[in-house]
Amino acid sequence: MTEWTGWLLDVLDDPQGGGVVLWVIADSGERVRLCQPFAVTFYAAGSSAQLRALWRWLRAQPVPVQLARAEKRDLFLPAPLAVLAVEVPRAADQLGLFRRAAQAFPELDYYDADVPLALRHAARFNTFPLARIWAAADCAGRVTALRVLDRPWDLDPPAPPLRILELEPDRDPAHAVPGALRVRWGQRDYRFPFDPPRALVINLRALLRRCDPDLLLTRWGDTWLLPKLLELVHQVGIPLALNREPGRGVQRRAARSYFSYGQIIYRGQQISLFGRWHIDRHNAVLWDDYSLVGTYETARVTGFPMQQAARVSPGSGISAMQITTALRLGVLVPWKKQQVERPRTALDLLQSDMGGLVYQPLPGLHFDVGSIDFISMYPSIMVRGNISPETRPQDPAVAGNEAPGLIPQTLGPLLEKRIALRQRLARLPAWHPAYAADKARASAHKWLLVTCFGYLGYKNARFGRIEAHEAVTAGGREALLRAKEVAEELGFNVLHMYVDALWVKKEVACQPADFQALLDAVAARTGLSIALDGVFRWVAFLPSRRDGRVPVANRYFGVFQDGSLKVRGLETRRRDTAPWVSETQQQIIACLGQTRAPEEVPRQAAAALNVLCRRLRQLRAGQVPLAQLLVGQKLSRKPAAYSAPSPAARAALQLQALGKIMEPGQRVYFLWLRGRPDVHAWDLPAPPAYARLDLERYAELALRAAEAVLQPFGVTPAVLRAWVMGQPYAVPLPMPRRTLLVSAHALPAAENLLSF
Amino acid sequence: MGRTLPSATMAFHEQAESFSRFRRALRRGDQVALDDLFAAAQQHLAAAAYATHPLPMEVFLLAMLLEEHKEVLRLRGLVEHWLAELE
Repeated sequence: MTEWTGWLLDVLDDPQGGGVVLWVIADSGERVRLCQPFAVTFYAAGSSAQLRALWRWLRAQPVPVQLARAEKRDLFLPAPLAVLAVEVPRAADQLGLFRRAAQAFPELDYYDADVPLALRHAARFNTFPLARIWAAADCAGRVTALRVLDRPWDLDPPAPPLRILELEPDRDPAHAVPGALRVRWGQRDYRFPFDPPRALVINLRALLRRCDPDLLLTRWGDTWLLPKLLELVHQVGIPLALNREPGRGVQRRAARSYFSYGQIIYRGQQISLFGRWHIDRHNAVLWDDYSLVGTYETARVTGFPMQQAARVSPGSGISAMQITTALRLGVLVPWKKQQVERPRTALDLLQSDMGGLVYQPLPGLHFDVGSIDFISMYPSIMVRGNISPETRPQDPAVAGNEAPGLIPQTLGPLLEKRIALRQRLARLPAWHPAYAADKARASAHKWLLVTCFGYLGYKNARFGRIEAHEAVTAGGREALLRAKEVAEELGFNVLHMYVDALWVKKEVACQPADFQALLDAVAARTGLSIALDGVFRWVAFLPSRRDGRVPVANRYFGVFQDGSLKVRGLETRRRDTAPWVSETQQQIIACLGQTRAPEEVPRQAAAALNVLCRRLRQLRAGQVPLAQLLVGQKLSRKPAAYSAPSPAARAALQLQALGKIMEPGQRVYFLWLRGRPDVHAWDLPAPPAYARLDLERYAELALRAAEAVLQPFGVTPAVLRAWVMGQPYAVPLPMPRRTLLVSAHALPAAENLLSF
Repeated sequence: MGRTLPSATMAFHEQAESFSRFRRALRRGDQVALDDLFAAAQQHLAAAAYATHPLPMEVFLLAMLLEEHKEVLRLRGLVEHWLAELE
């Protein structure tokens, strides 16, 4: 018998042995493959006659099963449910058996039937990817004992010595045909041309054997590279062991486009390995947000195998956590959710079908504004208000006496870890080596918690219930209104409120310390944690683009006292804006950010105008690289399905003519041109001539971006355009009521003309 | 997750649309004043949403009245200030 201590890499299904396969990174550096017998149980509920028929049917099946009557808890029913427990000794057989049973007996309710193997293992042994474990196994590699030594909620787990092999083609396959494969291993860079393929496969095979990586980190691995390698392997006839698991091919999942929350989303095809991880940087969810560290954290906290954690949305992650908690508590996990909403009166619906409170801000420029945010408001309400499908909600400010429900038990540890990590992050300076990793992990937590609320109201979620979702939003509105009342009682002016954030201002309050009393009072009145996001030197709330009198809730920008910017809703935040326009707007905001007092406004506004003029001159002089002028718009349907093709569709049709198919939900990058055709897709082989670029349109986009930002600083669009074009313009004088026509060339200092 | 009920903004635009014939028949100067009234109501959409009144137009009318009264208070303050200065 041997013992190992190390990190758990993966939990896989074992088609031969029937149980699970565990891949472990032992402390000695060995990669150990262990197998473990694993029996799986699923349940069926229905009338006694139906269950008897199912019993007889199951006995007649070739798969040996243990049958028993049991009573288990369904979350949506008050009393325990009588069920038939079907224990399948070989986990690999369970899914097939269940599907046949469901086909034969469609009228029964099934529970714990389609739970992924890794989650079942997690519920029974508390395992998770990169967990520290101790295992004992016999000489055949069968596990006799298993203990997990740490928890997903530990703040600083010891990092395993992962071996990472990076693979990427030398060019973006969507843009041009790549010529070689670049491989990085530690400090070494290799380059293998795709032609001749035999040499590539042999070299790659030798490298894989020598390095034995745990993770293949690729670019375009899912969508282009790995399929290409597999094709070459087939062509050349030399086997290439991408998996560590012997005797299995790679696992493929097809690409798909789906509709969610008003948008079409595209997921590229996926290729997963066995015994080793494959993560594609360009096909991993939220990669830009939290990259590899965040992906490790998502897998750690949700229990999903690493390859899945990288590719599924946070919603699936939260669902996995709920399932694992339910299994541990002995609560049945429904296969198809049956629970429907209670009938309600119209007045009842009118009062509960609401979201968060979103105010209309007081438009204009405001100085010395404090921005206070509830920390993870909805998850905190779910945990402290004990909101779950099976519980009655309570006031977070009042200590309750009801037992915590499934959702608070699932979220509680995650919320604690998030708060602990954020508090630590607030104390770390930005240059600290741990800062980036902590930030990535905090981001992973944020996404999981954000989606949990959505799942509560999602009709297809296993543990969703719309009344619970409504209770959370009601709790949020109540908390925000209480916070407003507290702020006004303490003499603050509430400029704006947005679901879980308030912007408050008081004449004497300019330093963070001045807001502490407010924070304490709000925390006491609401029972939720609240923190000061920062004190703005100034913040500008923008009005609607269509009507300048109407305020808009989510378009604003401001500068904190430490000089950092916060921008919401402007062009620079949109993903379809050209980088050059976005940068122009950012530079203007940064220039305006130097303002510290109302008196400085005219001078900074003039400086910002000069920045804009300089950027426009660069554009006209041809100094802006083409890549900076790319506009990226999403396709909402197949290019041929448009009745009047949008610019993105016209660009996609150009690509289609060359054989590059674009799917709905994919973003098409293109340049604006003069005349016809008015767009030029970026992935076409030859870039357009610079002279053909529609510089006027780009200048117009930049002007509009600048208008939005300069308007609160007293620069009206008319003045802005006249200034930029060097034309004479009318400057209204306050008193007496006359206007003075000024020629742009005879200008005195700009600040004398801008009135605030 | 769709919406069963229209949001306050949608309800507001529906109500404004329902007065489009009235607005059209007004003189241009009167139209500008009416638009001011509707813009005033838009300042209080959040409160209108929270109110969950079965007849949203009543809340919007109250919001218009609220803004008008704020303007009256402001002008009253100005007038009293100037009267005091004249003395």
